[in-house]
Amino acid sequence: MRPLIVSILAVATACSSLPRDPEATLERVRRGSLRVGLIENPPWVVRAGSEPQGAEPELVRRLAASLGARPQWFWGGEEQHMQALEHFELDLVIGGLDDRDPWKKKAGFTRPYFEERVLVGVRQAAPFPASLNGLTVAVKAGGEVAGLLRKKDANPDPVQHLDSAANAVAAPEWQIEHLGFVPTRFELLKRNHVMVTPPGENAWLRTLGDFLYEQRGEIRGLLEREAR
Amino acid sequence: MTTAVAPPYHLPAQKEQSLERARRIAWISIFAILTIMTAIGLTMGTSAAMKAMWIEDSLSLVPNAAFLVGVHFRNKSPDEKFPYGYRRAVLIAFLAGAVTLFGFGVYLLGDSVAKFLASERPSIPSGAIFGHRVWMGWVMLAAVVYGVIPPVILGKMKQPLARELYDKALETSATLDKGDWLSGVAGIAGILGIAYGLWWADSAAAALISIEIIRDGWEDLRNSIAQLMNKRPTDIEGKEPDPTSDELQHALADLDWVADARVRLREDGDVLTGEAFVVPRDERDLLGHLEEAKRVADTFEWRLHDINIVPVRRL
Repeated sequence: MRPLIVSILAVATACSSLPRDPEATLERVRRGSLRVGLIENPPWVVRAGSEPQGAEPELVRRLAASLGARPQWFWGGEEQHMQALEHFELDLVIGGLDDRDPWKKKAGFTRPYFEERVLVGVRQAAPFPASLNGLTVAVKAGGEVAGLLRKKDANPDPVQHLDSAANAVAAPEWQIEHLGFVPTRFELLKRNHVMVTPPGENAWLRTLGDFLYEQRGEIRGLLEREAR
Repeated sequence: MTTAVAPPYHLPAQKEQSLERARRIAWISIFAILTIMTAIGLTMGTSAAMKAMWIEDSLSLVPNAAFLVGVHFRNKSPDEKFPYGYRRAVLIAFLAGAVTLFGFGVYLLGDSVAKFLASERPSIPSGAIFGHRVWMGWVMLAAVVYGVIPPVILGKMKQPLARELYDKALETSATLDKGDWLSGVAGIAGILGIAYGLWWADSAAAALISIEIIRDGWEDLRNSIAQLMNKRPTDIEGKEPDPTSDELQHALADLDWVADARVRLREDGDVLTGEAFVVPRDERDLLGHLEEAKRVADTFEWRLHDINIVPVRRL
């Protein structure tokens, strides 16, 4: 009986110190340095002034504080940042990325920490549309959502700012309510937001994932604050 | 024109019971494998070892299915269209399965070696299960452990039945199931390796598992080709020649009207069929004597079926 208890305890303590990072990223972050690759993508990552703004830099600042690290920020494109991750020259990449990302096999992806449903919203007073057929819907210009609307036979109206929308708008659920619209049941897209680490750094990936899970109730507030 | 349709074959009643039991175990195996594949498929993420195990499991469906196909066609009597019966259908299923097994094994080995050379590292995130945060590696480990246990038990149950029924598909299935624990251990080592920060453990485990698959596939390929080419009957493992040919030859030669006899048999699934050439001492009552020889051949062993007795002047 004694050896059994001892071995169970041994396994349990081993489990809390496992998994380990092959390149010791988590230990290095704990010693103070956190290198973060930023991809501009408002409201997730916003380029303004010397310090990056947006929901994700705010989350990273909180995580860094909890680990006793100070983030160093690096602006760039996705390709460049992912390649840096592959070579362990960055510890984290953020930029409103979702789990459809083609780099999935080359880097460490957290589980989705925020599910963003892109819906069609209408004015409070307006009657609910029975279908999207022929409906004119305001949508942010230059994004994939306009194309998804066209696929559903709606009539996308690309605009620079969604505030100017008249009758209907296509946007993430949180933003629809923020703009004073009412979400309908018409879902165009689901973005499962993730953050990305170097490949195989499983202790670091786990710490990040657990932190984002703790923060899951905060995300929407951060996004709305950014939109204001 | 009508063809000389072969007579239907009936198993002895006691064997029939074992067959029914084997059929049930094969269905349970298929169900168990499907649950294992679901468990591994849902948890595998980017682990190469888990992917290899998933493919190995999907391939271990093949001999089970081949056995059940064989059981189905076994009861189908020969007819005008297929005067030798339908037993050989299972050989085709078996060959197809063997080719797949072998091919996938080679592909997996290449894949895991490529992953190793490209130093592709498996990233395993943490997730929430019933509100608890868990590193998914531990969930994968649980899935692998679950995947090891049922095949080992089922394989142990299948083996004696396979030997009793002389069913090679069932025997293959039993060997595959019993071999499963090896890849299970490799998979567990792979995941524990990842946990300890040894990223290469995963692709190494995958390579080991694929070598196991290649070995099984090669063995099956050889066996099924040998059967299709009407190799001389062997024991259930395909190693030792089956003694039945010699024993039947002796039994026929021992008949007092027979001067000499030679027997040539082939395997048709579990059944042995073929020709017996006999040299009669004289031609008195030859037809009666041949009938006697036929009776001897058909009752000599339960697997012997539809033996042709051919009288010849000399061998």
